[in-house]
Amino acid sequence: MAERGLVASESLAGCRPRAARTVLGQVVLPGEELLLPEQEETDGPGVAGERPLRLNAGVRSRLRVVCGPGLRRCGDRLLVTKCGRLRHKEPGCGSSGGIYWVDSQQKRYVPVKGDHVIGIVTAKSGDIFKVDVGGSEPASLSYLAFEGATKRNRPNVQVGDLIYGQFVVANKDMEPEMVCIDSCGRANGMGVIGQDGLLFKVTLGLIRKLLAPDCEIIQEVGKLYPLEIVFGMNGRIWVKAKTIQQTLILANILEACEHMTADQRKQIFARLAES
Amino acid sequence: MAGLELLSDQGYRVDGRRAGELRKIQARMGVFAQADGSAYIEQGNTKALAVVYGPHEIRGSRSRALPDRALVNCQYSSATFSTGERKRRPHGDRKSCEMGLQLRQTFEAAILTQLHPRSQIDIYVQPLRGVVSLQVLQADGGTYAACVNAATLAVLDAGIPMRDFVCACSAGFVDGTALADLSHVEEAAGGPQLALALLPASGQIALLEMDARLHEDHLEWVLEAAAQAARDVHTLLDRVVRQHVHEASILLGD
Repeated sequence: MAERGLVASESLAGCRPRAARTVLGQVVLPGEELLLPEQEETDGPGVAGERPLRLNAGVRSRLRVVCGPGLRRCGDRLLVTKCGRLRHKEPGCGSSGGIYWVDSQQKRYVPVKGDHVIGIVTAKSGDIFKVDVGGSEPASLSYLAFEGATKRNRPNVQVGDLIYGQFVVANKDMEPEMVCIDSCGRANGMGVIGQDGLLFKVTLGLIRKLLAPDCEIIQEVGKLYPLEIVFGMNGRIWVKAKTIQQTLILANILEACEHMTADQRKQIFARLAES
Repeated sequence: MAGLELLSDQGYRVDGRRAGELRKIQARMGVFAQADGSAYIEQGNTKALAVVYGPHEIRGSRSRALPDRALVNCQYSSATFSTGERKRRPHGDRKSCEMGLQLRQTFEAAILTQLHPRSQIDIYVQPLRGVVSLQVLQADGGTYAACVNAATLAVLDAGIPMRDFVCACSAGFVDGTALADLSHVEEAAGGPQLALALLPASGQIALLEMDARLHEDHLEWVLEAAAQAARDVHTLLDRVVRQHVHEASILLGD
């Protein structure tokens, strides 16, 4: 087919490793290898080195670069393992080289330490609650991990309750553990989520977007109806408004946000605000 | 088959393609909302649908859990209407089991299973063949290739880490020439057919399958034709994935 000639140039993308800096913001696919800034000068001919001549060539400044989700270290290069856009964040204090990661779209959550998630209590065995967080294993939650809980004063948690907590242990080798207190011992918004309301699931990318600092969607939704909303990084959102109808409208809007452009969204909000 | 020339004197095949040309490929990702990842691919007249769930808890017996890797479970089921004669049992027959095993071996080579120990990744593929004639359809390589390509896209859609794409293609050998991407007419003719699954970036072979007789001198040509066709498939799938990611990130407002 004629497509073979046209796309021959794109297939070279997988053959030669490219510098990570040049690919920022572009789509990367599994199988591609990326070069870190300090390796660019040792690449073959054809890559222009931008570093000035150094006076003591013996000492190389080592940049410590962190590989985020979607990237693996393979030798001295980065191997891309998920499809998405490559992002980079400069470090706060300038000694390390920053973080590179791949922004990918996903529905299935993998527990990460420090993430705040919404879980559903599925079992109570002895002193531990088993909480389903949408990952590959149920997380465990001790009854003492609530604010003001002691052996005499047990928290009132039943099977089927919704819990908002954070992970203290989350790696691939161990069962994830979560708690509902922060490091000072205060609840800080975590714990059992109250009665009523609606829990629904969205993709992880939408959650990250909604939790970004200046999210327009949340501001617009807040102007529509008074509501309570909890976002879990595992793709779950709990929402509660005054009436069931308003709750359902909010849930539908948030689920549909992913597939709408900004203009369509504004139209819908305008129509709802009128009625 | 008397009267049917698989390769004409000018080098054209039955459907007008050249020896190394692929059939038209169209693919879409994210066709199922309820699955973690899904994809649909059409290669000529062969269509395949792949759905991926995972990584999730091991279903069934806990003893199957592997302590250091994820369990990859592939199931191949042909729909009852997808072949020339209506089949009653889509699951559990030998062909489905063997195909499922081959798919599992292929994907265990590509998916980074060490990142999800004691969990399970399910890949379900379903080929749908448009019936083009009343001939009895034989076991074929075009189905395996379409299933692997669809499953790769579905695994990428699910966000499961992979070390590379897996691209597959079939190849045959007729009249001293290696043919790439056999259509079902060419498969039914009974010549040697080879199915190859390749990891394009490193050039490594994930699975190579042939059950026919082929002279060893010809093996290299057929293998090279299949490898080149798999790389062409990679180029096309690459474009599909980029398009999908581009659209998804535009809607999220990047």
